Amino acid sequence: MNMLTALTTTSLPVLHFDGQTPQGEAATLIWSERTAKLIGRRTDAQFALPQLRVSPRVGSADRFIALPDGGQLQCADHALLDRLPQESRTEDVVAWLERQWGVALACVALLAAGLVAGYFYGLPAAAEYIAPRVPMAYEQHVGEQGLTMLDNQDWFQPTKLPTEKRQRILEDFYRLSADLPSASRLRLEFRLANPAIGANAFALPGGTIVLTDQMARLANSPEELSAILAHEIGHVELRHTLRHVLQGSVAALVAATLTGDASGVGLVVSGLPLLLVQASYSRDFEREADDFAFALLKRRGYSPHFFAKVMERLEHRHDKGKQAHKQQGDNEAGDGSDIFSFLSSHPVTKERIARARAAGGIALPAAPAHANELGQSPENEAAEDGDEDDAEEQSSTTQECTPEPDATEIAPVGSPGAKFC
Amino acid sequence: MWVDTTPSPDAEPTSAPDNVPDDAYGPLTQPLTESQPASQSTSQSTPQPSTATNATRKTQPITLPESAQAIKLVFRGTAREYFPIWIVNLFLSLATLGIYSAWAKVRKKRYFYSHTTLDGTPFQYLAQPLPILKGRLIAVTFFAIYWTTANFFLANLPWVLLVMAIIAPWVVVRSAVFNARYSAYRNLTFDFDGGYWGALKVIYGWALLTILTLGIAFSWWQQRVKRFMVRHFSFGGQAGEFDATGGQYLVTYIMAGLIMLGAGIVIAAVGFAAAAIKPRYVPMAILPVIYVAYLLSFALIRARLGNLVWNHTRLGPLGFRSTLDVRKLAWIYFTNALGLVASVGLLTPWAVIRTLKYRADNMEVLLHGDLSQFVGGARTAVAATGAEMGEIFDVDLSL
Repeated sequence: MNMLTALTTTSLPVLHFDGQTPQGEAATLIWSERTAKLIGRRTDAQFALPQLRVSPRVGSADRFIALPDGGQLQCADHALLDRLPQESRTEDVVAWLERQWGVALACVALLAAGLVAGYFYGLPAAAEYIAPRVPMAYEQHVGEQGLTMLDNQDWFQPTKLPTEKRQRILEDFYRLSADLPSASRLRLEFRLANPAIGANAFALPGGTIVLTDQMARLANSPEELSAILAHEIGHVELRHTLRHVLQGSVAALVAATLTGDASGVGLVVSGLPLLLVQASYSRDFEREADDFAFALLKRRGYSPHFFAKVMERLEHRHDKGKQAHKQQGDNEAGDGSDIFSFLSSHPVTKERIARARAAGGIALPAAPAHANELGQSPENEAAEDGDEDDAEEQSSTTQECTPEPDATEIAPVGSPGAKFC
Repeated sequence: MWVDTTPSPDAEPTSAPDNVPDDAYGPLTQPLTESQPASQSTSQSTPQPSTATNATRKTQPITLPESAQAIKLVFRGTAREYFPIWIVNLFLSLATLGIYSAWAKVRKKRYFYSHTTLDGTPFQYLAQPLPILKGRLIAVTFFAIYWTTANFFLANLPWVLLVMAIIAPWVVVRSAVFNARYSAYRNLTFDFDGGYWGALKVIYGWALLTILTLGIAFSWWQQRVKRFMVRHFSFGGQAGEFDATGGQYLVTYIMAGLIMLGAGIVIAAVGFAAAAIKPRYVPMAILPVIYVAYLLSFALIRARLGNLVWNHTRLGPLGFRSTLDVRKLAWIYFTNALGLVASVGLLTPWAVIRTLKYRADNMEVLLHGDLSQFVGGARTAVAATGAEMGEIFDVDLSL
């Protein structure tokens, strides 16, 4: 070795693994401009310098130099290694970024900003943009399947409402939806619901709205029923099912990415953030549908006060159900509402009532929830129901419409109450 | 993905303390030395100055005596060092709508592997991002089919599930192959040679038996699946051996069952007590009990089964000693959860690192003989599809 090469020669202590045995050999890698020499107890080899490959830097870990003969050198991280050919230039860029605390802090800030913006604006806006562009047939198919499933699984039975009452409701329904863009898709179905569902109304994907017999009886006037139907029409008109599925799925993906690293180390509640996000989106949709309903009602000459009234009735009925449970000593009467209200998919009923009042303008005197202002006689209906296996339903109907609180009137345990969705 | 405490090429790279005894240091490196002690080259990262061990190492014969030498697994990762790596890769993954996640996976795995050293040499994660990305795209396609069916064509879901059940054993096997082949130690890669039919038989055969026996065979099912995984796993041509019994699994599951039973009693008592004061306090009173019971049984199963599996696994001349403690692990999980909630997730690196460190601190490799039994073999590329499907559907059995 002459003086000149000696000046530009660099050497590093390495551990040599030949790829044949796990036994390492301490050696020295000496390299100059073009060639590298590996000198150890068992080894004396020479390689062309460009054939070496240095593994990317990871934290402060030892790095590896791959040799063209399949061998490998383990080596403490050293600035000199950066002068050798690298295995991956792109990874080197990331490795450099990972070492900058400024970059890390910027990432925290950008992530936080991006998540907040995406949650409040980006995702809802994207779903709102995409939803109208998804073919309706797709959703209608889903809605039909959903209804068939509910019918087959005992959630629903055929309606027991008298034909003329259904006719009246249908007329109101068509009048309500007459000039809406979704009018041609809207369809109203009547079902007698399982007590677990009770007084409720559903908007299924594709435009089918299901009204339970219990809800039809609970409403005191056609106007109240129209308020409920207007809310459901709002869900259909605004494509809420599809938007909810879209938003929920993207949120789930993001949540999985964010909590993926933490899921195995004791964070058993990693699903919780997702639940919160989805519940909050649901509440937004309910508010949107409420607003839609208020506007529609006003356009048709009804006051949003009817919405407030029917909501109050539902709430009262729910409370009564809970009281009934308390009297029976059933302490699990779903009264986690204080803790779980933030998890609820519906805005707090009081808030909805207040909004309806505000939309309606001048306040009407709040109707006593169980005043005898019934449009129809409950006894008549119960008589018309007539079926033997419907005894429970009859009694429930009677209690709904009679003023005295009755301990056997049962609101579903742990159900979100009789709020309609 | 779970950071598994059971043996897997993923879990192996983990952690251990600095108090490596001198005599335990170096049996794997022993034939090197002379003018150039091993630790001189890695002095930055080895906990022990090698001069002390140098003499002993020089005199050791290649064939070691039958008495086992214990070598501690050392994990050198720190939360401080991992935090920027974690956040930069997380940000890039979300900012690129997930495309970068394949690169992020490689970076994170490389961090865990390369900071886990056994006898001074780190493990290596060798998978490339592009095959992982390809695998992820295929896995996402499958997931999209499942999602669309579940959300829009529910009637067809049984068929989709049937197809997925048929390919699940394939996913398990390919996932194990991928993880093994792209994990290396001392320039030798791991391998997995289990086949589809073997996996199918052990997974569904014993599952069926479990159903027929109303769950009694569950422990044996778990044991058989694990045995299948270990026996087909190999390093340097030496396949794993596994001698834990289903009865030993059963003991752990019974203990977990007793925790649940105890929790049930406490929940009933606390529930009634709270209800007597005010019914709305019931959930508040019950939830902590449920959480503690869940945490305890989770830690119990992780720790006891982790110990059971490792302590009954052999790989050629290597045995393992795993000494996880249920209470300590439960405490780690509990404090992790507290930290994660309080920091809105920003303490994730801290939680991950300390858990891995605890795992490695309680893991020793026992050398019973001669390392020359391990020999390198031909390396072949493996597609990442199976591994990525395993991850997205969470059916990756690791080991």
